[in-house]
Amino acid sequence: MDLLRRFTLGDIDAFETLVRQIQASIYAWIVRIVRDPGVAEDLTVDTLWRMYRLRHKIRVDGNFEAWAHRIATNLAIDYLRRKKPEHSLLAEPVAAPNSDHLLAREIREKIQEAFRRLPPKLQVAATLALIEERPYDQIASALGISVGATKVRVFRAVRILRKQLSDAGITPMRRAYNE
Amino acid sequence: MNDHDDQQICKVLQQSCPRVDPTLHRDLWPRVLHKLEDSSEGRVPWYDWALVAATVLIVVAFPRLLLVFAYHL
Repeated sequence: MDLLRRFTLGDIDAFETLVRQIQASIYAWIVRIVRDPGVAEDLTVDTLWRMYRLRHKIRVDGNFEAWAHRIATNLAIDYLRRKKPEHSLLAEPVAAPNSDHLLAREIREKIQEAFRRLPPKLQVAATLALIEERPYDQIASALGISVGATKVRVFRAVRILRKQLSDAGITPMRRAYNE
Repeated sequence: MNDHDDQQICKVLQQSCPRVDPTLHRDLWPRVLHKLEDSSEGRVPWYDWALVAATVLIVVAFPRLLLVFAYHL
């Protein structure tokens, strides 16, 4: 009996083998979305636990990894909805302050803030497509939508982002990082 | 939005939000197993259900036993 079928029947040894095979892939996917290694580990554990609970729903002939990524993506979106607003997308680098650096930092913070204000579903699509440059078909599969719908989400995210940055006095097309 | 705009937005975002290290540095199986064990603690084991079923069957088959039990309480 193959590993996946044994897993669907609740075989804990088969599940352990599967976890060791896919945990790195799930973690890598989640950390690209939430951008926090600690949170990504927690969500990876939650994803694997949920996969075990939902094991009877998986089609043995289906794409196991895509199914796992979809569960992971949904948990990551839930996390982004719950997340405190002051959470930062990245740790701030420590450097000697000067006027250029402060200006760049201020712009970066405004861009991050605008990005955080995006609706979670748009934020996830934009993160994966624009920052991580993942293929659209992979993003679409993880979001459970079509490639066209994924592109629409990214387009809407960019439009909102552009408007928010414009309102904040930043025109990324012309000036953001010319230093 | 054209490809040029796309590239500029990508550049700005990538500079503001650098890529993260996607490498998992430790095995998460012990934590998964712990979570599975925790979540199964609240469940009623099958033998408890079997005991309840047997008790119900006995009470239905021999209702007067209730009186005997009541007398001894």
